[in-house]
Amino acid sequence: MSGWNRRAFLGAATLVALQAAVAGGGAVLGKLDPRDAPSPRRRKLMREVAEHVIPTTGTPGAGVVGAGDFVLVALAHGLSGTRKPPAADPSFAPHLRPDGSLDHAAWLEVRLGAKWLALPPARRHEALAALDAAAYKGEPAAAPWRAIKGLILTGYYTSEIGGSKELNYELVPGRFDPKVPVTPETRAYSSDWTAVDFG
Amino acid sequence: MDETLHFDAIVVGSGITGGWAAKELTEAGLKVLLLERGRKIEHQVDYETELKAPWDMPFRGEGDADLYAREYAVQSLNRHFTEFTQGHFVNDAQNPYQTGADTAFTWFRSYQLGGRSLTWGRQCYRWSDYDFGANKRDGHGTDWPIRYADLAPWYDKVEDFIGVAGAAEGLPQLPDGRFLPPFALNVVEQAARERIMANWPERRLTIGRTANLTAEKEGHGPCQSRSICARGCSYGAYFSTQSSTLPAAQATGNLTLVTDAAVEHVDYDPATRRITGVRWVDSKTKARHQATARLVFLNAGAFNSVHLLLNSASEAMPNGLANSSGVLGTHIMDHANTLSAAAIMPGFEAWTTFGNRPTGVVIPRYRNMETMDGIGHTRGFSFQGGALQSTWTAGKRAAGIGKDYKNSLEKPGPWRMVLVAFADCVPRATNRLTLDRTRVDSNGIPQLRIDFAFGAEENAALAQAKADATEMLTKAGGHVMFGFDRPGPGGTAIHEMGGARMGHDPATSVLNKWSQAHDVANLFVTDGAQMASSACQNPSLTYMALTARAAAHAVALLKSGAL
Repeated sequence: MSGWNRRAFLGAATLVALQAAVAGGGAVLGKLDPRDAPSPRRRKLMREVAEHVIPTTGTPGAGVVGAGDFVLVALAHGLSGTRKPPAADPSFAPHLRPDGSLDHAAWLEVRLGAKWLALPPARRHEALAALDAAAYKGEPAAAPWRAIKGLILTGYYTSEIGGSKELNYELVPGRFDPKVPVTPETRAYSSDWTAVDFG
Repeated sequence: MDETLHFDAIVVGSGITGGWAAKELTEAGLKVLLLERGRKIEHQVDYETELKAPWDMPFRGEGDADLYAREYAVQSLNRHFTEFTQGHFVNDAQNPYQTGADTAFTWFRSYQLGGRSLTWGRQCYRWSDYDFGANKRDGHGTDWPIRYADLAPWYDKVEDFIGVAGAAEGLPQLPDGRFLPPFALNVVEQAARERIMANWPERRLTIGRTANLTAEKEGHGPCQSRSICARGCSYGAYFSTQSSTLPAAQATGNLTLVTDAAVEHVDYDPATRRITGVRWVDSKTKARHQATARLVFLNAGAFNSVHLLLNSASEAMPNGLANSSGVLGTHIMDHANTLSAAAIMPGFEAWTTFGNRPTGVVIPRYRNMETMDGIGHTRGFSFQGGALQSTWTAGKRAAGIGKDYKNSLEKPGPWRMVLVAFADCVPRATNRLTLDRTRVDSNGIPQLRIDFAFGAEENAALAQAKADATEMLTKAGGHVMFGFDRPGPGGTAIHEMGGARMGHDPATSVLNKWSQAHDVANLFVTDGAQMASSACQNPSLTYMALTARAAAHAVALLKSGAL
């Protein structure tokens, strides 16, 4: 089976797993402290943002698999250092929690603007790409985006679809082969823990 | 368990050395009580996360950072600590320790049946006479009362039992062992080995020697190249107490195992100058218990064995049990550990790997052997590390969103290679453990206080290691991106040791050449506490060999009536 066909097949065949994945994200979301519990609008925003970062191609995208909800849970629990006080920037002030940490989701909502969700997809993409470019150029006021994008990646590639359909997953390789040719069909293994931790 | 129980021997701690002591003593026919402060973890049955995928975990394997900040502030810094393995590490909030004002020390601990044998890095290296002779040669610390020849047969015995995969290299500074077939170098490491050797014939990049089985061994499956060892391995394919020494000890019918038993005191009788037994607290019920024995082996882990000796002071021994020398608690060490160089390795894009090899590579010590060529230091350093490919996590550092960005993350990423230095840590009297009598733990026992700092020797070694690593990776075809020449906090290498050192002289050491207390003939300390120097190799194999040797000696003394 060619790579395209394999991936198209998997994209169609994963709806059941997908439902389970989204339900799982929701279950953890339900346990959040009420102060961190997101509004339906914020969940929708994060879902759409995630989908723009990792869109549906031959495999479902990050929004579809529930990475948006994962990001909200992760931010509430301070993954990737997000509960540490951010670098000082006046634009963060309205979004600081009592403990001095930045409410990244609230910041993103304001940073993208109230109308972002209502924009046509191409315009939404443009605005997000501009934020991404600013953050990776080192603009301090855009810096929180890097943590959000990082968590979108985590949410996606550690989901069953991202981890085992977009990439390969093999919990029990059974052998170590030190020299394997790379081909057009080669996909990274999400179960290569050394690469995940240190790559 | 209200009555006092009687045994031939009590072993305190069930980790790497405690398991060995229990196995050797029970196999010699002794009735042994093995006490473990932590919970019971049964082989296979209790490895709860072994088969989980990231998507099965509430925080996808990353773990709850909020919880970790509150309760696992130290343990979560361990490279083997993940959401999958957090149950195999202590809760720092519940198990506090103190550090001196100028001390940064990350003390990584696992209080459970099997101790750190469940979470260890599995690297197994023999020491050589460069190591056992180090203190005598440069004057740091006190001379070891043993040399390689004393330990060689015990290394053989341990390797035969646990199974060590490795490649023989014929190097005097890293003696070959009795190896199972080695794991293979990947294409980048193989090229690096050849290119480094072409430039420096004395520098030998070789595969890490690891206690993972590359062949079936009685009762154990071979390693499946999962590299999730610290979750627990139902194949029994790496050495742990659960997979190896505990079943052997239990098979004798001579073992009594008690978990949730935190030993608080070792009792000494000044009339006979012998240990009479130990007392412990049940961690769950807080009930106090005791048992007597003819022999006691301390295997609580280097710092906890010292803690127990300090806390076992008595009227006859007011400065701590077996501490007539006054050196108990002093001269603690940990390898000075840092990432010396990380490089991009171009030219290997056509190749990748399959499976997760459970070991990296090693470049054994090559400085300060026949020629004293260390700049500002007299000991050795070695490198561990390896070549790896990046993956989706590298996307966090890259600009981009959308389809092309997603597609850029679907293949194994560029090859990198890292060399991490482990430098010998010289023994210093000022690096020491004491009891903090102002703070007690949940059992009312004074907390341990750690005072520790690296010095000029270690800093000089890591400076040279950085320069050497940079040169080697460059000659290997890499583009070095960064590297460091300062050690991480003490404890980073997880090779904390010393505090009850072995030596010739009872006036300057705690233990004799049999790991036996100078002051108390029926007391043995055979974990890392006994170390008089640190070498630069991972120490666990040496602890195991010393334990087996001490056990044989103790049994001989017991049978001869000398104890």
